[in-house]
Amino acid sequence: MGPRKSRNLLLGFLMVGILLMLIPVQEAIHKSRPHVFDPDRKTKRVSSISIGPTPAVIASLGGFRTVAADLLWLKAVRIWDGGSWWAMLPILDAVTQLDPQFILAWQVYGWHAAYNLHAESETIVDKRYWLANGVKTLERGVEANPSNWEMIFELGWTLYDRAHEPWRAAEYFYKADQFPGAKSYITRLYYRCFEGVMDFDRLFPALEYAKGRHNDPTVSDDVQHQVIVNRDYDWWMQHRDDPLEHRRQIVIENTKRAERSVPFYLYPDDPYWDVCPICGLPSPKGSDVCSVCSAPLKALSERAGRPSSESTASAGERR
Amino acid sequence: MTPQLAFLIGLFIVIVALVLTRKQWAPAVLHAVPSIWRIAKITVAEARRRRVIQAVVILVVLILISMTFFSYLSPQEQSRMLISGGLAAVTVFGILLAIFVAAFLIPQELENRTVYAILAKPVRRFEFVLGKYVGALIILAVIVVTMTVVLVGVLLLQDKLVQDLPDSAFDPNIGGVVFAAVMSYFAIAVLTALIVLISTVASTTMTIISAFIIWAVGSLQSTISDLAAHAELPVTKALLTIVYIVVPKLENFDFRHEVSNFMPVSYMAAWNPLLQGIGYVAVVMILASVFFNDRQV
Repeated sequence: MGPRKSRNLLLGFLMVGILLMLIPVQEAIHKSRPHVFDPDRKTKRVSSISIGPTPAVIASLGGFRTVAADLLWLKAVRIWDGGSWWAMLPILDAVTQLDPQFILAWQVYGWHAAYNLHAESETIVDKRYWLANGVKTLERGVEANPSNWEMIFELGWTLYDRAHEPWRAAEYFYKADQFPGAKSYITRLYYRCFEGVMDFDRLFPALEYAKGRHNDPTVSDDVQHQVIVNRDYDWWMQHRDDPLEHRRQIVIENTKRAERSVPFYLYPDDPYWDVCPICGLPSPKGSDVCSVCSAPLKALSERAGRPSSESTASAGERR
Repeated sequence: MTPQLAFLIGLFIVIVALVLTRKQWAPAVLHAVPSIWRIAKITVAEARRRRVIQAVVILVVLILISMTFFSYLSPQEQSRMLISGGLAAVTVFGILLAIFVAAFLIPQELENRTVYAILAKPVRRFEFVLGKYVGALIILAVIVVTMTVVLVGVLLLQDKLVQDLPDSAFDPNIGGVVFAAVMSYFAIAVLTALIVLISTVASTTMTIISAFIIWAVGSLQSTISDLAAHAELPVTKALLTIVYIVVPKLENFDFRHEVSNFMPVSYMAAWNPLLQGIGYVAVVMILASVFFNDRQV
């Protein structure tokens, strides 16, 4: 074998050796950046969405997906300023598909559907649809960003403030609160979820959790938080055995619910409310007629042969 | 074959090849370093005379400065737009300049016949190829550093100008931006090596066209991997796998997505792409030297 051939052979071995060594390196790169190299990324996260650019378009953009998302975001901002709220949806959908890690886009998309479009809708069915759409969007955002507390908090807040699902909201607040950097107001919202619905079984453990959560006295926000937690905790401990105070809280809660058109909380043996057997809505205790449908309350309860408190309890259970 | 076994076998082959050829490469390396450096310096001096490069760099600087006019957005949005747009400009123009710098390096020497004067001196052909490559790397490093410094300056300036809101703050993310720009430079270095390899056997036009195709395919590496994994026909699967192995994995160096979204970036994650890039460049430069050595000049 000539010197040239032997040289080329050795260089060939060298190249093969280097290429073989690169195989595990690529494996390690794939493992270290799953959001970029996840093999299911394009099929699982993208194809479940019906509108916006197709997976092929997204794939063809390669490393320029972020820039494309930015350009569409600018377009969405322009549309927002122009007041065409419904036209924003496909663009926001495209932005979140192009860049699933764009947290602000998810937050705005979910909020826009659950608040603005919900408020703009004229029928109950439409309102329900947009609220569900907003929650679902935020759920998808959480799925794409499972370790981002802002995204999880946003879903929790929408469930708490808009969908009025405090138990589900509490789950997400608790989850968001576990991440480093999460704000202390999330801890407060966590127990406030149970406080609002008088779920004492969960409220007291949540208050205990909140007391021990942020115990760094050097942070002013946390000091403030501790004051609030301690105050709430002491207040509830003081009144837990005071049924009249509990009833007063229920009246306050139901007054707020009436303002927001949310179903009433009905406490068994309620001394403040009577429930109308016709329309099922509560009226102040002792009223002669239902304040909503004007049905004669006393006459109906007497005809049924049972005290009005029982009817209150049974109506509350039905709800 | 498991990845760990492949690494061990590869390491063994490289060590054996280096030990067996030590008598050939050890004196050659000592002689090569000064020659490579001289050719690199000449390449840089030639590039300085080309007004096109300077014009493009000035254009990019102007683009970056003009990106500060997103004042109607919230501070948080502004920082994201500036970072992602700025890094995209650094990467795109860096790669475009790399293509136009590297594609002309060797073919121009051959067309102008200046290569005869160089090779008549005690300069080996692989030294000539490596010298040209090192020269191109220096030029591109200066360009990328200039663009990155301007981008960082724009971000810092904007950080001073924008008034933060209670729920939205301008985050210049300087560390992440510099890191992403450095990684973009390594992607450019890998692509440049491949362009030098193609230019040893092809014309300038062919080299430029190939470079654009390689850039596009290299940026879609995860898509090609997906397609190969889901291909039904064995021929398609084999072809896609070959493309996946041969084309440089430029997406490995792309950290713009993480930096633009303010995601935590582990700087240790850069070691694997770097290691892979060095290995890839080594293989490509060996091939380029062999091809240029065998070429009739």
